[in-house]
Amino acid sequence: MPHLRSLLPAIVFTIAYAVVSIGVTNSYYQLVLTLVPVWAVFGLSWNLLSGYTGLISFGHAAFFGIGAYTTALGQIYFGLSPWLLIPVAAMLGGIAGLLIGFPTFRLQGHYFALAMLAYPLAILYVFEWLGFQEVTLPMKRDAPIAFMQFGDPRVYTLVALAIMLATIVLTRMIEQSRFGMALLAIKQNEAAAEAAGINTLAWKLRAITLSGAIAAAIGAFYAQVLLVVTPQSVFGMLVSAQALTVAMFGGVGTVWGPVIGSVILIPLAEILHAEAGDRFPGIQGVIFGFAIICVILVAPEGLFWKLRDLLRKRFARSTPQTTAAPDVTQPVAATVTPLTVARKRAATSEVVLEVRNLSRSFGGLKAVQDVNFKLHQNEILGIIGPNGAGKTTLFNLLNGFLRPDQGEVLIGGRDMSGQRPHTICEAGIGRTFQVMRPFLRMSILDNVVVGAYVRAKDEDEARKLAADAIARVGLSDVADRVAGELSTKELRLMELARALAGQPRILLLDETLAGLGHGEADEVVAVIQQLARDGITIAIIEHTMQAMVRLVDRFVVLDHGAVITEGEPEAVTRDNRVIEAYLGKKWVAHAAH
Amino acid sequence: MTGNITTKMTRRTLLAGASSALVASRAWAQQPSEVKVGLLVPISGMYARPGTVMRQGAEMAIDHINAQGGIKALGGAKMKLVVLDSGDSTEKAKNAAQRMVAQETDLVAASGAYLSSFTLAVTEVTERANLPVLTLSYSDLITDRGFKYVFQTSATAGSQARQALPQIIKLAETASGKRPKTVAILTDNTAASIASAKAMREGLLTENQLQLIVDETFTPPLADATSLVQKIRTAKPDLLFFLPTVISDAKLLLEKMNEFGLGQGKIPTISFGIAIAEPDMLQTVSAELLQGVLTCVASWGAKGHEALIAELKTRYKEPWMTQNAISTYGDMWVIKDALEKAGKADRVAVAEALRSMDAGPSKYYPLGEIKFDEKGRRIGAGMTIVQWQSGIPVTVFPPQLALAQPFWPKN
Repeated sequence: MPHLRSLLPAIVFTIAYAVVSIGVTNSYYQLVLTLVPVWAVFGLSWNLLSGYTGLISFGHAAFFGIGAYTTALGQIYFGLSPWLLIPVAAMLGGIAGLLIGFPTFRLQGHYFALAMLAYPLAILYVFEWLGFQEVTLPMKRDAPIAFMQFGDPRVYTLVALAIMLATIVLTRMIEQSRFGMALLAIKQNEAAAEAAGINTLAWKLRAITLSGAIAAAIGAFYAQVLLVVTPQSVFGMLVSAQALTVAMFGGVGTVWGPVIGSVILIPLAEILHAEAGDRFPGIQGVIFGFAIICVILVAPEGLFWKLRDLLRKRFARSTPQTTAAPDVTQPVAATVTPLTVARKRAATSEVVLEVRNLSRSFGGLKAVQDVNFKLHQNEILGIIGPNGAGKTTLFNLLNGFLRPDQGEVLIGGRDMSGQRPHTICEAGIGRTFQVMRPFLRMSILDNVVVGAYVRAKDEDEARKLAADAIARVGLSDVADRVAGELSTKELRLMELARALAGQPRILLLDETLAGLGHGEADEVVAVIQQLARDGITIAIIEHTMQAMVRLVDRFVVLDHGAVITEGEPEAVTRDNRVIEAYLGKKWVAHAAH
Repeated sequence: MTGNITTKMTRRTLLAGASSALVASRAWAQQPSEVKVGLLVPISGMYARPGTVMRQGAEMAIDHINAQGGIKALGGAKMKLVVLDSGDSTEKAKNAAQRMVAQETDLVAASGAYLSSFTLAVTEVTERANLPVLTLSYSDLITDRGFKYVFQTSATAGSQARQALPQIIKLAETASGKRPKTVAILTDNTAASIASAKAMREGLLTENQLQLIVDETFTPPLADATSLVQKIRTAKPDLLFFLPTVISDAKLLLEKMNEFGLGQGKIPTISFGIAIAEPDMLQTVSAELLQGVLTCVASWGAKGHEALIAELKTRYKEPWMTQNAISTYGDMWVIKDALEKAGKADRVAVAEALRSMDAGPSKYYPLGEIKFDEKGRRIGAGMTIVQWQSGIPVTVFPPQLALAQPFWPKN
């Protein structure tokens, strides 16, 4: 449940809105007041899918229209009351969401957006073909309340407000649960989310189902307000656009965005239409479009975020440096300690991960060919090789981003090759990425929590696991800061913490030292060593050998996708094949001395 | 403003206390110098063109009425037109209607709203506000809802098809000497076209001993008309009913017909609705291609309207008078008559006057009377058949309204 305090602004806003609208007797203004929460809810439903997951839907009219036709046809053919039909519409919208989502989530980015565009247009033609070009809701003079045909237009506004408040509460609940975190993680980096143990397809399907249900419910209510349903007015391109417009204008990925967008844009469009429309026909569209373009140029993420950033800045200036200089040296044991004798023995202990004959090619390029190695309990294995040697591809095969063409990946003795990343994460493998993908707008703690859900049963436990993980990498003092304000080193540590939060037995670190200065690299190395002391098995990719020599127990050297040698650091660094791979043939002679 | 002054004066007279003065002042208060009539049509967006023509028709009528002394029963009060933009969507039309009834509380009647889906939404609002609305939209649904405040001046879609078919057959028979037996229907899937095609398929064709040999429905806009025209060429029907709504579709098909050697009357082409006879057609299709094409419309500038057609041409540069201009022109006169009959500027009274009106034969709508049945449909509402002749669509049927003789394309 969301905390009551976080809902307070929404409740206050709704009550204030209700009070204002009760005072309005002009039926036209009242209609505009009804349409504001209607489009706000539609924007919220879009936001739930597209705002949080970043998968832009151009086709939310599909759900909206299904809802609208449900109320219209349900009343005409079955004489049912809209009070019943709106929940039915929500159910149908949810089912439609599931049916649409399942095939469409195979696509990503623009392809997803374009595919979504097709659904309402296709359904539009189906309804035209069925002969539902114009459907009017039968007038019920004898039972206006049972059929939601209120004589007092204020009641429509109140019903719309109730739906809006319910949607806001629902959105807040989702936002503050692992559901919302999962969606945000998907938005920032779907691959990273999968790797952090999030079953992205399942969460996306839940999101589109819920989003479809809300859109259909409000579409059903909209039909009740409009009283006439035509395919164009509920499945049309402009309907889908309306959801995007209010959400993007107000702010994407926040519950307030669509509400702000709707409160400003819907009355603005109407005022322009009423005041300028009959004198300069068409001018309203021009001004409206211009206003939207201006706001998007000034505040590309929407008004809400722009205002929040402005307020933050002002607040930060007026309260001088409360976050002054977080002590970065204190938490980390910054000295690189030599490996203990006890750990040296690690290489002979139990095998936790074994790779057998693993191959993968992309067309003619054999990125990984016939790779075999073993990872022993509690050892630090360095996987090195020049650029393009196939290191990251190997990791992608290990954690399930790629399916191997052949070979096996045995985790604790069980073949897990070809499994989805989140399943492999559940099996105890965490990983970080060469290119950092922090969730910039979220705090460090929230960033890390995303990784904890794979182990945590509830929110509290997830928070606890996250806090532990942050403490282990030494970021506790800055845990509340927004990721966007961090240095490269802190981001690297944060990513490490995110992987740790899922309590993995094995950590795959992809160039964790890249882009760090000398001293910074040492700090991170110290943290990794401490993790190894705590019993975690680590495989780390790096193409610079320097820091690695002091860190790892054993090297596996890759070149052109194949293992050229493996062994202890001292031996490997003197190996001619390794030198050749890194520096070319002519250096082999030099190195021999 | 004027209303306020009148009220103040009334109060002052009331204070004087004379009962005779009271009666007189009341009568005076009921005779405002202005009576407002609404016109709710699309004047922005993709339907702006027909909406603008409707506005022109209304303005002309208002000017004529006022020039002839206004509303005599209200002491010569002038009629004033309040134009509202219904925009290009059902929601905008509904919002505009709500604005009309909320903001323009002294309207006595209105006309609108071009597209039948707009009219359906608009009348949901006006019905609840007891504001009478005259409409040229001809969807049967508009007057099938049991509404009391909507009056349909055109024959409904179903009725138009029923009236047109025998006339078309008669025309073909007299001109070509043989009775057509087979027909093809090519229709887009918009509401009005579907309604007309449905009426033909479900009985009208058989009633008229016509055999349907090609029946194709397409979604506008067409990308290519080749396959449609090929079907026509193979089947060789005696008549082609072609029901487009979008001008580009009409152009595509007519050009393709010509290309295949079926154009210019080889297969007589009959349309429904005004899309194929809009002035815009000439901007994309040549007059030769259009020559002989017939269309059945609810209303058209016809015999007896010559002066109006000329005025429209000089005043607004409109080359001819479409249904939109003449019907809306007529609406204003009907409202004027209702006001005369009601004797007061009150919407409920005007509606009542419209319901009980019996103003004799219609002057501006084709055939029938100025009298409405219990559904609100004009009694005896006829329709016109218009034919493209030398680059102008002229009324050729009914004979009493015809501006030119129809000709049957010869092959």
